[in-house]
Amino acid sequence: MLDDYLKANLASWDEAVGLHVGSELYDVAGFKAGKTSLSDIELSELGPFVGEGTTLLHLQCHFGLDTLSWARRGAVVTGADFSGEAVRTARALADEVGLPARATFVQSDVEHLPDALPTRFDVVFTSWGVLLWLGDLERWAEVVDHFLEPGGTFYIAEFHPYAFLLAEDTTPDALRIGYPYFMHGVPQRFDEDGDYADAEAKLEHTVTFEWLHGFAEIVDPLLRRGLRLDFLHELPFTVPGLPFPFLETDDRGMLRLKGHHEDFPLTFTLKMTKETR
Amino acid sequence: MGDRDPTDRRSGPRDPADPIPPEARAANLALWNRWTRIHEKSAFYDVEGFKAGGSSLWPLERDELGPFVHEGTSLLHLQCHFGLDTLSWARLGADVVGLDFSDEAVGLARRLAAETGLAGRAEFVCADLYDAGAHLGGRRFDVVFVSWGAIEWLPDLERWAGIIARHLRPGGVFYLAEIHPLYSALDEVPGEHDVRVRYRLVPAPDQPDVEAVEGSYADRDADTTGLTWYGWAHSFAEILGALTGAGLRLEHLHEFPTAPAPAWDWMVQDEDRWWWLPDGRGGRRKDLPLSFSLRASKPADEARRAGAAGTTGPAGQEA
Repeated sequence: MLDDYLKANLASWDEAVGLHVGSELYDVAGFKAGKTSLSDIELSELGPFVGEGTTLLHLQCHFGLDTLSWARRGAVVTGADFSGEAVRTARALADEVGLPARATFVQSDVEHLPDALPTRFDVVFTSWGVLLWLGDLERWAEVVDHFLEPGGTFYIAEFHPYAFLLAEDTTPDALRIGYPYFMHGVPQRFDEDGDYADAEAKLEHTVTFEWLHGFAEIVDPLLRRGLRLDFLHELPFTVPGLPFPFLETDDRGMLRLKGHHEDFPLTFTLKMTKETR
Repeated sequence: MGDRDPTDRRSGPRDPADPIPPEARAANLALWNRWTRIHEKSAFYDVEGFKAGGSSLWPLERDELGPFVHEGTSLLHLQCHFGLDTLSWARLGADVVGLDFSDEAVGLARRLAAETGLAGRAEFVCADLYDAGAHLGGRRFDVVFVSWGAIEWLPDLERWAGIIARHLRPGGVFYLAEIHPLYSALDEVPGEHDVRVRYRLVPAPDQPDVEAVEGSYADRDADTTGLTWYGWAHSFAEILGALTGAGLRLEHLHEFPTAPAPAWDWMVQDEDRWWWLPDGRGGRRKDLPLSFSLRASKPADEARRAGAAGTTGPAGQEA
């Protein structure tokens, strides 16, 4: 079963790479010209822990824009993604912007990454629309813990569980619930044309399987691995890319819930430390 | 623990910087005093069952906190209402202190302790939560316990967490079982047995929700005419931030699709007394979180350092 889900999702992500490289959302030309793809959220919260020579593992890195943006700030980075298309594109980008010496890309899903990569890291980083694609956060937490050096930092910036809760016909006066907060391991099947970076896209691989996870499902496995919670933040805005009709863009280019710009969380971030014992 | 109590609220100093506005405190005190009289006779609290030897604790609490409560464990129960849970921990061997701001509740708790022969291991303090320090002084406990509908009465969780940390010994355990922030933000869809998000999900310490009280969670038909409720919304970021900011270490976070009390009369109860949202097809909804629990510990480093100086035993033991 899990393999079938993985196969469908992999086909979808392999196909998405080409679309995303040319998209306005990802702005690859801007990145090549020197712009960072990281948002102010990651930069302000994780930035202080990433300096010259910091080793950083980026889980579910897609085609590596964020990975390479951390490399530009001095980190020695490894990006991992299950899509061969994404990894090939990431390597080509690294060459093109002159970062191949400090950027490695590995093709592997999260579950099997410890078999493909022998090193440990100062920082494990992952962000924006990653947990949806993982059915088993127990294994994910194990992998995060596995790759952290003692004293190392885990950081995730992710869409809030509440961001996926609302029905398409939600209005500011009636926040209707259309989706689960948590689904106890059983994925939801989607069969939709269009893409979050290009709503008009005509796709060959339209079927995906996605999991929504509550806070406990995310945090508790990491606690059980012995990681120390430093903070969990909730923010009433998020980065562009969620294609929901009830969101709108604010003057800083962030998405907020219409009519609820301050009182509805759309982002959470989490920083944890692997303590030296 | 006689009739005259030196920790009585009226004899203790009031904190001038109490974050609860006076009108909110007065309204909530009147409410909890009335609710105490209602709850004493309610089927929900089943005081007779407790007197006959029953425990008012949920199996959840006994499963998750029970392993940390033994014969002689010192336990502080904050916002203890009239003490059934406090006394249930005493029945399991703990030496307990319950604290509540309602004089009616504390009076009833003391009577129940005497009546059930637990007065020797149960003490009740009548004090505002934010005044706990003035009444408990430097006392430290093995366990601090808080449960079900406690934090909604508090605007300032940083001070709340500071009180918890201050009264925990190094190595001690804090346990919280609470209403989920999302459940608190839900309302029913008009005319349907369904829910939508209606109230704020981001805390606003200066903006309490103020509403007329209609009955009680323990007795929906009870007469609460003229009473008003002041409550504050909270979020996970705020709760966890307050606890970690006070130096506590999060040990577990669990979420459940069940609640200890119904918010609407169309919710359904299971054989273990938990309340569920119905799924509209005769079953129970498992997709929304209605409650959560967490455990946090106070690092024992302090004790280790003190131990190195030769003033105390191994980590986890009182000096």
